[in-house]
Amino acid sequence: MTLALVGGTHRTVPLDLRERLAFSAEQAADALARFRARFPGREGVLLSTCNRVEFYAASERDAVPAEDDILAFLAECRGLEVTQLAPVLARRRDDAVVRHLFSVAAGLDSMVLGEPQILAQVKQAWALAQESRTAGPLTGEMFQAALRTAKRVATETALGRERVSIPSVAVSDFAAGVFERFDDKRVLLVGAGKMAAETLRYLREAGARDVTVVNRTAGRAVELAARLGARPGRFDELAAELAAADLVVSTTGAAVPVVTTELFAQAEAARGGRPLVVLDLAVPRDFDPRINGRPGVWLYSIDDLAAACDANRERRRGELPAARAIVDEETHRFMGDLHHRSTAPVIERLRAGWSETGESELDRLFRRLPQLGEAERAEIRQAFERYAAKLLHPPLASLRSESRSGPPHGLLDALKRLFDLND
Amino acid sequence: MQLQCDVGPRGPHEAGFRTGNGMAEFVSGISILCFAASYAVALVCEASRPVFRSGLRGAAMIGFAIAGLVAHTLFLVWRGLNESTAPLSSPFDWYLLAAWVLAAGSLWLTLANPRTPVGLFILPVVLALVGAATLASREPFLQSPASRVWGRIHGSFNLAASVAVAVGAAAGLMWLIQAGRLARKRPPLRGFRMPSLERLAHLTHRSLAVAAWTAAAGFASGIVLNAVNRRHGLLETVPWTDPVVLRMGVVVAWLIAADALGHAARRRPDGGRITAWLSLVSLGVLALSILWGLLGRSQHGVPRHAAAVTGEAMP
Repeated sequence: MTLALVGGTHRTVPLDLRERLAFSAEQAADALARFRARFPGREGVLLSTCNRVEFYAASERDAVPAEDDILAFLAECRGLEVTQLAPVLARRRDDAVVRHLFSVAAGLDSMVLGEPQILAQVKQAWALAQESRTAGPLTGEMFQAALRTAKRVATETALGRERVSIPSVAVSDFAAGVFERFDDKRVLLVGAGKMAAETLRYLREAGARDVTVVNRTAGRAVELAARLGARPGRFDELAAELAAADLVVSTTGAAVPVVTTELFAQAEAARGGRPLVVLDLAVPRDFDPRINGRPGVWLYSIDDLAAACDANRERRRGELPAARAIVDEETHRFMGDLHHRSTAPVIERLRAGWSETGESELDRLFRRLPQLGEAERAEIRQAFERYAAKLLHPPLASLRSESRSGPPHGLLDALKRLFDLND
Repeated sequence: MQLQCDVGPRGPHEAGFRTGNGMAEFVSGISILCFAASYAVALVCEASRPVFRSGLRGAAMIGFAIAGLVAHTLFLVWRGLNESTAPLSSPFDWYLLAAWVLAAGSLWLTLANPRTPVGLFILPVVLALVGAATLASREPFLQSPASRVWGRIHGSFNLAASVAVAVGAAAGLMWLIQAGRLARKRPPLRGFRMPSLERLAHLTHRSLAVAAWTAAAGFASGIVLNAVNRRHGLLETVPWTDPVVLRMGVVVAWLIAADALGHAARRRPDGGRITAWLSLVSLGVLALSILWGLLGRSQHGVPRHAAAVTGEAMP
């Protein structure tokens, strides 16, 4: 019973090679079908994301494919040379495989520490293996345990709770700190920078509906508004738009601030004291920094938000030891169960042997004592069974205890020799 | 300070409680210290949020808060049955009932918003009220059937006003903390996620308004109560210059002014901050008033011809 893993991540595989090594869903299904044909009776799961390609192989009865064979198989599937992959793909066996999978599922091996998307990708990889009939009991238990580990890490640590992308921090940590709800707020997008659409996605998730887009080029504003499901506004009416807005996301490429203190003063007079949140995601800044001091204005530049993201990343890193401890504990438990399972055939043979001997002795006894009734015979049979169970308990308990620290080969050999348990 | 509850089973319900089982003995043994200690431990659990983020901490906090509330409830019920006292019939009972309402509200808000440290802001007020109760008079106010109704109305309005002031001050303090974090551009402190400024401002405004109107109603009902007592010759007439009347007048005047100021500030960009400070000052005014009541002398609630009167505190 062994487990093997061959794979590489963003840390070890250069981007250009990672792109060539990555599997689409169809390619992954095809690869698993080929694996089934090439290694019959073995289990295989292929996890392919933009940051990693990993092949997990397992076998309960037969020998698992050698890592070199898996590596050659991957290279063949993607039309690559083994010599290209060998230096960059890691190879792992047994408990190292389990620990790695648990870490991956919990987001500990991700580019953004603790990101939750990887868990869905692990589930998809497992589902594809089931569809392709390369999944089996061993990989099944291992992936189930991985999902359980990820859930524990998510609930028992704060690893995934801190936001680390600028748009998500802007919305969840700052805008949501000012406003209770967004469905009754007016959002103004100024410009068409890269982060505008992503910030708007988070705002929409939070309930924002009323969105206006203004751009220095009117045609671009109309196009953007159509694409984002928003209403186009006029850039020359920016002061009026600012007066009506509750939240501004500004991402123009202007070289000088587009909202000066003078322009803001015009808008401020018409705002009626309502608070205004400004997410100035442009570099250079679109809002004059002096506007930050105005009462009721919560102005956040990209540097402010980046600093908050860094602080959140630091907090996530602080959770790493606790998360790793959970992964270690679950790995230990899983491997203990796995090793104990490997002793099952020997235990079965031992029990069967004792049961057979007991039955023959009982038959002899009952032939000698024909006067015994059914009730007495049942009592004697039960006493025999209890006696056998009590005698078996200490060696089986030792076997279970030994399984926790590794495969109990020594004890199994001793049992086989002592009780003549041949394969 | 007498912390041990001294309400023994003396009333008409004594037999019913005592004959059943040891429950009566158990309930009669509940002291103020029991629930005050439970609330204090719950407060410590709440304050340790950034240090202990385990679910056990939250469970312990809620467990101690529930234990405190149950003990507090049993204490009030036992006292009501055995002393034949209504919950608002003495300053002691009034403070304990106000503390009970706030403790129950704090627990409910904590269960509804587990990520918000509500208890950190409410439980200190609860403990302060329990502390005030230990200093306050336990003697019931003398009441005729006619004045009992007005007495309860008077006590209930004052209770509602005090609770509203405490809730408003908690919301105002949370507003200032949240605004400070947003101004410093720092992400939320782990385990200390505050409600939004919008929600807190709304709660502070509402609380100030409720406090102002209920305090005014409490004051007006006190005037009626005074008149009823005078007509029945039950109590000494409480003059307008009585310390209780003066301090309650100051509190009511301040709360009405604070509500008006808060209302006027609503359309200002810094309206939220102004209202938050008004709510905190309101709590300060109320606390001073209570202190004044605990230490001062009054004709309030005193039988006729009892010239030398107690240092009780009519809230």
